[in-house]
Amino acid sequence: MAEQSIAGAAGRAMAADGDRSVRARSVILLLCLALALCVFLSLTSGASDASAVRVIRDWFIGAVPADAVLAARDQLIVYDIRMPRVLLGVLIGAALAVCGAVMQGLFRNPLADPGLIGVSAGSGLGAVAIIVLGATWLAPVTLALGALALPLAAFSGGLAVTLLLYAIATRQGRTSVATMLLAGIAISALAMALTGVLIFMADDRQLRDLTFWQLGSLAGATWAKVSTVGPVIVLALSAMPFLSRGLNALALGEATAGHLGIPVQRLKYIAIVGVSAAVGASVAVSGGIGFIGIVVPHVLRLAIGPDNRYLLPASALLGATMLLLADAVARTIVAPAELPIGIVTAVAGAPFFLWILLRNRGIVDL
Amino acid sequence: MIEARDISVAIGGKRIVSHVDFVARPGEMSAIVGPNGSGKTTLLKALTGEQAYTGTVTLNGRDLSAMKPVEAATLRAVLPQSTALSFPFTVREIVRLGLIGGRSGVLPGEDQRLPERALARVDLDGFAGRFYQELSGGEQQRVQLARVLCQVWAPVLEGRPRFLFLDEPVSSLDVKHQLIIMNIARDFARRGGGVVAILHDLNLTAMYADRIFVLHRGQLAASGAPMDVLNDKLIERVFDCHLKVGALPTGSVPFVLPQSAA
Repeated sequence: MAEQSIAGAAGRAMAADGDRSVRARSVILLLCLALALCVFLSLTSGASDASAVRVIRDWFIGAVPADAVLAARDQLIVYDIRMPRVLLGVLIGAALAVCGAVMQGLFRNPLADPGLIGVSAGSGLGAVAIIVLGATWLAPVTLALGALALPLAAFSGGLAVTLLLYAIATRQGRTSVATMLLAGIAISALAMALTGVLIFMADDRQLRDLTFWQLGSLAGATWAKVSTVGPVIVLALSAMPFLSRGLNALALGEATAGHLGIPVQRLKYIAIVGVSAAVGASVAVSGGIGFIGIVVPHVLRLAIGPDNRYLLPASALLGATMLLLADAVARTIVAPAELPIGIVTAVAGAPFFLWILLRNRGIVDL
Repeated sequence: MIEARDISVAIGGKRIVSHVDFVARPGEMSAIVGPNGSGKTTLLKALTGEQAYTGTVTLNGRDLSAMKPVEAATLRAVLPQSTALSFPFTVREIVRLGLIGGRSGVLPGEDQRLPERALARVDLDGFAGRFYQELSGGEQQRVQLARVLCQVWAPVLEGRPRFLFLDEPVSSLDVKHQLIIMNIARDFARRGGGVVAILHDLNLTAMYADRIFVLHRGQLAASGAPMDVLNDKLIERVFDCHLKVGALPTGSVPFVLPQSAA
């Protein structure tokens, strides 16, 4: 019965009983189309009436536009404002969703999230330190790195927390996932306390910057940011498909995964480093964007099952789509002003998540 | 062949297993028996490399500690006492995980159908589409056995025997399925593989095991064929119970032994 209610959305294209790979492939295909549509809509819509279609068409056929000033303006808006923003949205949405799915597989818990083990808190501390102390104590850093200071600081903060956790939880070559989770809670609290001290020291203008950054936003996306964090995210995400079979085996427990022939220690290492790199890079440019990492993999598990070979790519596609949609809402609902995107994802994500949970209480055993 | 010499395991400063020698030969079913807390599961974990130990364990002549996980996985499969899942896998998806190493030993192309065959083997025909979490404990245990069987479907691969490690495989099963599972294990041994099983039921042990290893307070109390090992003195000493081997109940109390199965 439960099987039928889940199958409803995607049809009942099953190869064999209990084999959901055919359905998973068709869902992934649908998600590809949905993402393409969202990218197109995000490029063509916005506070300005600039037409992306016209810009792209002109560029393709090499036409000389009738109104050169207007064309230059449109080109600027589409190329330099919307495109980097859409690209960042895709990259970060994919990174958050895939990292959520990987963490959940690693901790064998559908509620696990990069925020849980302190990666996000560490990144936050790094970013807040730059915002508050950038003009005083950390002036040499900001001077040397310029606009890259903030993303790099967030990235280093996330990585530092991860390495610290890894060192704490590893004994005799074995990393205890449970220790890591508990130590992560402690280190998160510490990082947040230090962030609190910095907020206490901040002046009014910095406080406004801080609040906006903490709520998360894709505003201020530039090609420079894309080229800084893009390679990190792409590199980290491209390692993830190699983990999918190992993560599947890990669902049976670490010992059993080892008995099945999975090099569990190496799997944990790659997953943890990859997640902290991708999340650190994401938090660096967009601040804290919640719920994508939990809701997207969860919804997909209900639709196509928990097989990571399909779950990870599907999460990347749906995560990117969701973030683009959230961003579209964030930048149009109070145009020409902008809502922080973290508010949109939380307002939309939390009730949806609850609804899914209540509807499937029998199958999803937390 | 699995050979373990002078195996000791200490957990948190407490010695759980001390100086145990153990041998499991292909073609045989080796049973580990003993009271609760005697170190049976810990010994099994040492033999499978899951638990750090002192001493040596060799698998077909090679040192276990020097083997990569994937190499060990082609030579032996391990069934834990119970397995809980946090994600909604179907039965078929769980059984398929046994094929991750890719060395089931059937012809290429037959792997696709192996989950169904393995499920039929453990009397779970038609369960492939069910959700694992919806099954009873005994059914879950048999699903896991089907997964383990997929991993080493052929008891002998490229001339080398393979091994099944079973930690209380029948503890949550009804009597019919106890017999089915024990027959699968014996069949695996008859076809050239080796089986190491932790068992609690002494009658089943006497009926199926070729060799018994009796653990008592972390030490090997006795080992050998059931005929030689299972005697009144040993059972009284190890299990702390006044029991008589081979004594029939007096009066009209009914009793049912697995040995009476046709």
